[in-house]
Amino acid sequence: MKTLSYLFQTAVQNFLREKWINALTILTVTIGLLILSVFTVITLNMDLALKRWAKGFGIVVYLKDNITLEEMELLKGSFKKDPDIIAVNHISKDKAIEELKQIIGNSNPLLEGFEENPLPASFELKLKRESLEPSYIRSKAANIRQLTGVEDVQYGEKWLSSLNSLSQGMKIMAIILGSIIFIATAFVTYSTIKILFYRRQEEIETLKLLGATKSFIRMPFLMEGIFIGLSGGVIGLLALIGLYVFSTSKIIAFIPSMGGEMFSLHPYTYPILPLVGTIMSLTGSIFAVGRIKY
Amino acid sequence: MIQFTGVSKSFDNEYALRDVNLKIDKGEIVYITGPSGAGKTTLLKLIYMSERPDEGNIIVGGWDIDKLKQSTIPFLRRSIGIVFQDFRLLPNKTVFDNIALALRIHGIHPNEIKETVNELLGDIGLRHKANDFPQHLSGGQQQMAAIARAVVSKPMILIADEPTGNLDPDASTMIMKLFKEINLKGTTVVIATHHKDLFTGTGRKVICLRDGGIEKEVAG
Repeated sequence: MKTLSYLFQTAVQNFLREKWINALTILTVTIGLLILSVFTVITLNMDLALKRWAKGFGIVVYLKDNITLEEMELLKGSFKKDPDIIAVNHISKDKAIEELKQIIGNSNPLLEGFEENPLPASFELKLKRESLEPSYIRSKAANIRQLTGVEDVQYGEKWLSSLNSLSQGMKIMAIILGSIIFIATAFVTYSTIKILFYRRQEEIETLKLLGATKSFIRMPFLMEGIFIGLSGGVIGLLALIGLYVFSTSKIIAFIPSMGGEMFSLHPYTYPILPLVGTIMSLTGSIFAVGRIKY
Repeated sequence: MIQFTGVSKSFDNEYALRDVNLKIDKGEIVYITGPSGAGKTTLLKLIYMSERPDEGNIIVGGWDIDKLKQSTIPFLRRSIGIVFQDFRLLPNKTVFDNIALALRIHGIHPNEIKETVNELLGDIGLRHKANDFPQHLSGGQQQMAAIARAVVSKPMILIADEPTGNLDPDASTMIMKLFKEINLKGTTVVIATHHKDLFTGTGRKVICLRDGGIEKEVAG
């Protein structure tokens, strides 16, 4: 513990002695983390908007004209038991034609040629957000199509697929950008610590001859790496909060309905940025110090 | 304490040491002498494992160098105090911190470090320079501080490579007196020097090297 406290003091002294190169590295780490976090916040907000948009998504199950009341009740019962379905709405033939008339008008010539009501009865099924995965919906629709009394099943397949691709694309972008920034930040810290390591080569040689262990030599450099990452993370976080407050106030002033709809930056997410910064810089420092040989 | 058996070491296919056999007992003061390039520094480096022999066997304080792992080298070095011609004091640390560094590496408690270092600084007459940086000290004072750093952890062996090389005669006399005092406390002292007047008339063992081999072993 006393050795660790001494090594911590040494790291602080070294950190302050090389303040300019360290300040420049912190600035680079801050910018990298800020870009990453701004992109993440935008991605999360868009994902949230897409999910909200998809909330109204449903499957329409068209029923055969000759379906019995008993078969219809059986269908309704099975839909209500299905954990993926959150709401079941029955549209009778009469209700369907009423709705159509409301849309196209009562005396529309389109309706004049029919002696009987041509529209089928149907069930409108609202699905859970978590179940809105294209391949899952496709197999679900196919299963429903097999049920007795079902004529056809329709859902916005293309729309759902595009929505899903957009969301997936954004997540992949976030992962790629995150990886690039992680490597870049780790590399910047690596370069700085490597320079500092070479600058202190004589000191390191003397320490080796005095009987210092590898960890005694390494520790101050790793601590410096932690200081860089932690400082970059904290400054990045403060900048992010500032930017978030500023931009949300502008957006809400422009579109008031967006208030409360956006992804909010909760205080429990605050430690993430300093932690990520620390891990990035520590990784760079570990590689920079490398293997010490006697 | 130190034993070389058939030790050879070469750099770029040129022998720095060739088939060296020597034995230094516990509590001795031994002088290694010879012209420049005779192999004095290489011999010392082999003792503190800054270099490894190409051939032969070295035993230092009971450690067989051949069998020593990388991770054990720091512990061998902690039993050896090393004094260099160019002092090798850390310029960004005070005299006190330079000396204390050896004890910090040993993991000694800060209170004990303070007490030991202050006592030693008093013994060598540098207590008033404790908070000065090495570059503000004279050559003799810097070498005193370097010796203090080498002996503060009470090593079994003290190795000095041309310790008076950069010093005036008065400072040299003072340094040699200090080595004798350290030796009296039981530390084995090995000094490499080409200044004959340092060992002439001392009656101590003098190992003369020439072209990497031992030319003769005489009493000073």
